[in-house]
Amino acid sequence: MKTLFLKDMRYRQARVILTTLGITVLISLILLLGGIMNGMRIQARQYVESTGADVWISAEGSGGAFIGFSMVVEEYMAFLNSGPGLVPDSASPLVFAQARPTVRGKSTKAIVVGYKLGQLGGPKSVLEGRMFTRSNFEDYRPEDPVPYEVVVDEKMGLEIGEQITLSNEKVRVVGKAKSLMFVLDTPLLFMDVRIAQKLLLGNTPHVNMMIAKTNKSDQPAQIASDLDALETIEVRTLKQTLTDIIAYYVDEPMKAVQFLRVMLWLAAGILVGMITYVTMLEKTQEIGVLKAIGGSNGYVMGLLLKQVVLISTVGVLLGLILSYVFAAAAPIFVAIHFVESIIVACISFIVCCGSGYLAARKAIAVDPMIAFRGEI
Amino acid sequence: MAIVVEGTGLTKRFGSGDATVVAVDSVDIRIEESELVMLMGDSGCGKTTLISLLGCILTPDDGELHIDGEPINPEVQDLSVIRREKIGFVFQLFHLLPYLTALENVMVAMDLARTKTTEAENRATKLLTQVGLSERFHHRPAQLSGGEKQRVSFARALANRPKIIFADEPTANLDSRQSDNLMSLIQELRQEHQTTIAIVTHHEGLKENADRVVQMKDGRILAT
Repeated sequence: MKTLFLKDMRYRQARVILTTLGITVLISLILLLGGIMNGMRIQARQYVESTGADVWISAEGSGGAFIGFSMVVEEYMAFLNSGPGLVPDSASPLVFAQARPTVRGKSTKAIVVGYKLGQLGGPKSVLEGRMFTRSNFEDYRPEDPVPYEVVVDEKMGLEIGEQITLSNEKVRVVGKAKSLMFVLDTPLLFMDVRIAQKLLLGNTPHVNMMIAKTNKSDQPAQIASDLDALETIEVRTLKQTLTDIIAYYVDEPMKAVQFLRVMLWLAAGILVGMITYVTMLEKTQEIGVLKAIGGSNGYVMGLLLKQVVLISTVGVLLGLILSYVFAAAAPIFVAIHFVESIIVACISFIVCCGSGYLAARKAIAVDPMIAFRGEI
Repeated sequence: MAIVVEGTGLTKRFGSGDATVVAVDSVDIRIEESELVMLMGDSGCGKTTLISLLGCILTPDDGELHIDGEPINPEVQDLSVIRREKIGFVFQLFHLLPYLTALENVMVAMDLARTKTTEAENRATKLLTQVGLSERFHHRPAQLSGGEKQRVSFARALANRPKIIFADEPTANLDSRQSDNLMSLIQELRQEHQTTIAIVTHHEGLKENADRVVQMKDGRILAT
């Protein structure tokens, strides 16, 4: 009777569905938590990588660009632009500051990126509208300043011509740039560095960092190391900056989530194992009956394992599908890695089947009479 | 008459240390072909444990067992083969698989013996008709009365043409009318299939149906 295991499962469909759902939910949660962290890492990297800079210069003691409080005086620009190993005139001032602009009457989190148009630090073109008006950088505090204009991330949903409020000033949206959302879907607002200084840094001639390109023939690590010898600045390569930013914005704040994820892994393993184990042990009476009427251990084990494998397979597959569905519908960027999801699926499958096998082995190891009396 | 089952010095203990209970204590027993033997005695005297040992669904701690002339050694033998080919079991609580119909419950025993499905279905149909359940082939155990369930149990026990059927208190959950009907059925089946039957019961009224009564007390056989 090849369908015996299916008949049993149909008879106990409520339990089968609950067990399958239990596996599904646990796998989805594990994958989603991992996906959130992956998403944060991707978002932390994408702006930094998009700048095209090879070295990142911040104030001495700041711990690196993006990490601690960094204010660098503009005078270093001249030094860097003629510095050894750097592409001439590639050094760019950068304001990178968290802000809470009011958008359509609601206070919203955002990151203001102030840079020199045409230099490193922001988009060179827009998807819609135009770039903001460029100020004369060298003309600090001009009598006739450029208008407050901003190029927004396309995903903010703002229209060209709309106004947002930043530090009590109205800033007009003039363009939309390709989305480069920062960690936890924080949109970037690109504007002229002088406007950013005025709105966020008290109109002082400081920037948070400077970035530059290195000559192709030179090693960025060596150049960064040479520049870092100066006592007033810290210089990091792109690789170091990425490591810093991921550690600062993702790994450190998400330590608790990482811990939770490990705990969830353990809990999932134990829970899934227990569900399968208990489900199997509850079948000991039937196992006893089947053995008493002549079922061999192999036959009974096969019957039980078919059920475990089917439940595990469906639960794991549903978990995978559900995690991708939730990831797509999540209000933040969730990036589930395919390889990671396959590993999670395989491990979960092995845990489910393993615990089911252990329970089944225990149940079939005893005399039928003991089994159907439920005395295991 | 050939001996179908022979147990010598069969002993079974449960528990350990001070809590050890000797359920069956050095029992010698023989059951001959075509016999209808009744094992009787008070509750807890070891009747069920003894037929479980004889039926190879429980392993003895001591003693020797022969079934159909063949020595039984649980250490080296796959007892499921013996249970499948030589023994039929009927339980007090029927123990039918709840997710199968009456027909499938009988067929499953033959499935274990790798009987072809068509052949199994034909035999199951014949057996269920014999036990008076021709109208109940596709009913699940939950849709059957106690007496009907027990008839399905007997049909299942007969499915693989066993040498002996062990029935543990088959009438315990039946009313007196159902009990009488079942005993008549057992006699009919015995005639029809020439099967040896050993029944555990504490029902004194059933004695008259037996060829031989084995009386037990405290794990030992008092009289036979």
